[in-house]
Amino acid sequence: MKQFYDFKIEKIKNLSSKDKNLRKKNLEVFNKNGFPNKKDEDWKFTDLNKILSQNFKNIVNKDFSLKNKKLELIKEFEHNYISLLNGKLISSNFSYEEKNKISLENYNYNNKIIFDKKNSLNFLNDALATGGFSLEISKNYKLNKPLVIYNHFSNSLKETIVNYKNLIILNENSKLNLINYVNESIQENFMVNTIENIKIKKNSSLSNIFINNSKCNGYFYKYIQSNLEKNSNFENYLFSSGLKFNKIDIVVNFNEEHSKSSIFSALNLNNNEHQEIKTRINHNSPHCQSFQKIKDVLSDESKGVYQGKIFVKNNAQKTDAYQLSRALILDGNAEFDAKPELEIYADDVKCSHGSTSGSIDLNSIHYLKTRGIPEKEAYKMLINGFLIETLEKLAEGKLKNFLIKKLERQINGY
Amino acid sequence: MLHIKNLEATIDKKHILKGLNLSIKPGEVHAIMGPNGSGKSTLANVLSGKTGYETKGQIQYNGESLNDLSTEERAQKGIFLAFQYPLEIPGVNTNIFLRTSLNSVLKAKGEKELDTLTFLKLIKEKAAELGIDEKFLSRQLNVGFSGGEKKKNEILQMKLLQPKLSILDETDSGLDIDALRIVADGVNSYKNTENAFLIITHYQRLLDYIKPDYVHVLSNGKIVKTGSADLGMQLEKTGYKNLI
Amino acid sequence: MKTEDLKNTKEYKYGFTTEVENIRSPKGLNEDTIKFISNIKKEPKWMLEWRLKAFNRLKVLKEPDWQKPKYPKINYQDLYYYSAPKSASNKPKSLEEIDPKILETYKKLGIPLNEQKRLNGIAVDAVFDSVSVATTFKDELTKKGIIFCSISEAIQKHPELVKKYLGSVIPLSDHYFATLNSAVFTDGSFVYIPPNTKCPMELSTYFRINASETGQFERTLIIADKGSYVSYLEGCTAPMRDENQLHAANVELVALDDAEIKYSTVQNWYPGDEKGVGGIYNFVTKRGACRGKNSKISWTQVETGSAITWKYPSCILQGDNSVGEFYSIAITNNFQKADTGTKMIHLGKNTKSRIISKGISAGNADNMYRGLVDINKKALNSRNYTQCDSLLMGNKCGAHTIPYIKNNNATSTIEHEATTTKINEDQLYYCNQRGLDQEEAVSLIVNGFCKEVLQQLPMEFAVEAQKLVAISLEGSVG
Repeated sequence: MKQFYDFKIEKIKNLSSKDKNLRKKNLEVFNKNGFPNKKDEDWKFTDLNKILSQNFKNIVNKDFSLKNKKLELIKEFEHNYISLLNGKLISSNFSYEEKNKISLENYNYNNKIIFDKKNSLNFLNDALATGGFSLEISKNYKLNKPLVIYNHFSNSLKETIVNYKNLIILNENSKLNLINYVNESIQENFMVNTIENIKIKKNSSLSNIFINNSKCNGYFYKYIQSNLEKNSNFENYLFSSGLKFNKIDIVVNFNEEHSKSSIFSALNLNNNEHQEIKTRINHNSPHCQSFQKIKDVLSDESKGVYQGKIFVKNNAQKTDAYQLSRALILDGNAEFDAKPELEIYADDVKCSHGSTSGSIDLNSIHYLKTRGIPEKEAYKMLINGFLIETLEKLAEGKLKNFLIKKLERQINGY
Repeated sequence: MLHIKNLEATIDKKHILKGLNLSIKPGEVHAIMGPNGSGKSTLANVLSGKTGYETKGQIQYNGESLNDLSTEERAQKGIFLAFQYPLEIPGVNTNIFLRTSLNSVLKAKGEKELDTLTFLKLIKEKAAELGIDEKFLSRQLNVGFSGGEKKKNEILQMKLLQPKLSILDETDSGLDIDALRIVADGVNSYKNTENAFLIITHYQRLLDYIKPDYVHVLSNGKIVKTGSADLGMQLEKTGYKNLI
Repeated sequence: MKTEDLKNTKEYKYGFTTEVENIRSPKGLNEDTIKFISNIKKEPKWMLEWRLKAFNRLKVLKEPDWQKPKYPKINYQDLYYYSAPKSASNKPKSLEEIDPKILETYKKLGIPLNEQKRLNGIAVDAVFDSVSVATTFKDELTKKGIIFCSISEAIQKHPELVKKYLGSVIPLSDHYFATLNSAVFTDGSFVYIPPNTKCPMELSTYFRINASETGQFERTLIIADKGSYVSYLEGCTAPMRDENQLHAANVELVALDDAEIKYSTVQNWYPGDEKGVGGIYNFVTKRGACRGKNSKISWTQVETGSAITWKYPSCILQGDNSVGEFYSIAITNNFQKADTGTKMIHLGKNTKSRIISKGISAGNADNMYRGLVDINKKALNSRNYTQCDSLLMGNKCGAHTIPYIKNNNATSTIEHEATTTKINEDQLYYCNQRGLDQEEAVSLIVNGFCKEVLQQLPMEFAVEAQKLVAISLEGSVG
């Protein structure tokens, strides 16, 4: 296969020689392994190397010059925001919050974190990452309004990869609602490879929502590692749709007792979109609860993949873990693949998973039609109902209404 | 209103209706009784235009052939089917479903669609008539409803959509006596000289409350006997055996 | 089961050795060994060529390492690939000619080969190390045109059938152990059911590993011709030894139009002692092809033995309307490891598959379900239902479920469910309150947990299997 990428450390400015060497080593590891393919258990259903080679001629890394981009703010609900351009922090606004309770800085690359040693995209990120942010919420502070992270990308990203890292720390007894928002309609193919490190301390709560406003030709991979202390709560809502390729890879580590984590996902895919969710829930401590509910609606030649693993260590008694993935396949060329996995070493636990895939229920369609609802409407209604169920647990309010609207927009077409 | 001539229906290579004839005029109540497997539900499905059946014969409705009309077109023209087993549709809010349904029917009739407020007022009224708690309306369609609640929901939909021909498929099954009375009252209050009913049932029970003008006995895909309301009572005593 | 019975069976009761004089191939895996095997079996030339082709392929294949149960490297040059009782080197023509010691062995195993003494009408092919020593009820079967004999005999007498079907489901170069088997297989059973014939009795093979330092590589081929039916049972035991022994079998099933094959296994190879020393490595490739329309293949397995079990009885659903089933109980105790499951490959239209897997893990054992359900784009209106339940006893053991699910089709439905639980305390308490002791109660509850699978087994086997379930979990509660 022809080499379709060419990454150079030299393109990153202002590196110390030590940093440069370290990055070179990481790049060597990546170059040796290349982009992942189906031989990699974590990519069992997806040959990323092939997908990229078919869509890119020569992917490169660049040093981006910072330009300000005009922000189009969400009007539906009041919020704080952080704005990133090509992964770099360009502006922020916390006008709804108390001063000195929130610290926001550029990501400090001197803080090395060890990630998945088998993940070649992590090595690539370690080699090339620049930009990103560190966000820290003070002890006992609960944000009044949600925080939106506007992810913008410039039009000059054709055949380019963007790598960056974020760090999010919630100190004891704090609370944050995050919305990751992509509003781009770039027609050129580009890549984004992100690592996010999340620390949730005692009694704290983070909700993390991913949503896209429009379609663009991005190929995204995001690796999220989260570490949870006692009595904490980590919720994720993944609605991001509209990218050519998207994989969100979430690791949740329950390091102390009595914590909770949930992951809800609703994806409506069409054309040849490919979206993948991978979750790994590590129950390393007793009395924790985890819940995943993944729903995909697949049309045309789209492909949805869910790989979810629940791991329960032998001391993690009283674990309550449940996972469900369901897919509606609307066209003969669409595909849904799943690998729901359990690895359990403690006996006093409740762990189960379910996975179903198949066509839409024609009896339900018939029922709706007998009430005078046209077939096309009936389909939309069922699809909407199928996906919107994932929002059940979210508190009523402007944010929820906003998400419902976005989801409906995805279903009705952009 | 409805003229069925020599109707045959086959599904999965099983020949179920084998030449059925039936005529219904406005204002009439017809009951179809018959043992299990005689084709009662098939008749309801075929009239509603459910796909999957191969049919032969004629179905005329208000002078128009139904054969080529889709399920929703039939519904929009005033044919209503109350299901034996109403489907649970998770994630779909009952109110939103009812409004979409009513507006589709109104739109097809060329009438003005209802805005949210007008609709809510109307639905609350109708629900109150049937003793349905408002809370049901904000729940997911039929999800977690009891048998009685589902059937009441079907009658609510009937009263809302105001059909000309209402087909009730085993609406009495699974109902306790109170729910049965509410359902029957709902039907009776909607009865007038313009609307017709086709009540499909296994037992006489429902017919104690909704008095039919005609009772037909369906057996092996054909109507084998037609009579007045007395026929139903007679069947209750003697069973189907003597007739078929 | 009564407590006294349990005590009597506390140890692996099939662990004895039979002293018979053996003929062995020289140690080691090479062309000479393969020629030795082929020669001693008086095989035709095409068969030897087939074996050598497999051997050449084996040279470039790598031993797989993706499976969870790791095992020490096997020295393939330090094994015997052929071992047979001297007395059986020419297959005995009648029971009188069989070495009385071997007859005694099978009697001890509860498989009397003497037809007169058998009431339950099961025809048995008995495989002792590398050779088939006896096949019973042959005459009766021959009358119906059914062929039931050792694979060695089939190669000689029915070469056209063997040539046509051998390797047609598991190709020569499938994977390391399957290819190894193709090169060195020594014996096994062959079944052919002619068109429109219902086999009048259960057919069964009983495998026994006796000799030490010997690998057993048997090969089974079952062909159900159009409109036929056969139920086939397989049982296995081995002596207690502190070495690990390799058992790498291949089983191929072919069902043509409207045919049905039911294949049941009760695997009770020596599992090693409670410290994990010794035991059989059971690396088996089992695969069935539903080649004809409306055909059906049903696998049922009760896996209680072996140090490591590693097998995935699979179905390739090629024919339209064909059906594949997999019912499995895998029990691991002490240091046993099981990595088992199935593959259901849907290629034909309206194909259906059903998977019921029950894994029970106790002691320090590891139990894994690994499965693939793949519904092809062309397999319209197909369905799969999978249920995988695991039961854990204690927190030193593990249960692992890895299903791979691929749905490539808008008209097909896949449903998968899995749960992991422990024995319900309330149920135990209820049983105790009714006077059952802990072990009896556990045995009762575990048998209940496995019921869906046990009821798939033929009557005689089901009773045996229930006892095995109880014995295998000996000492796991306390």
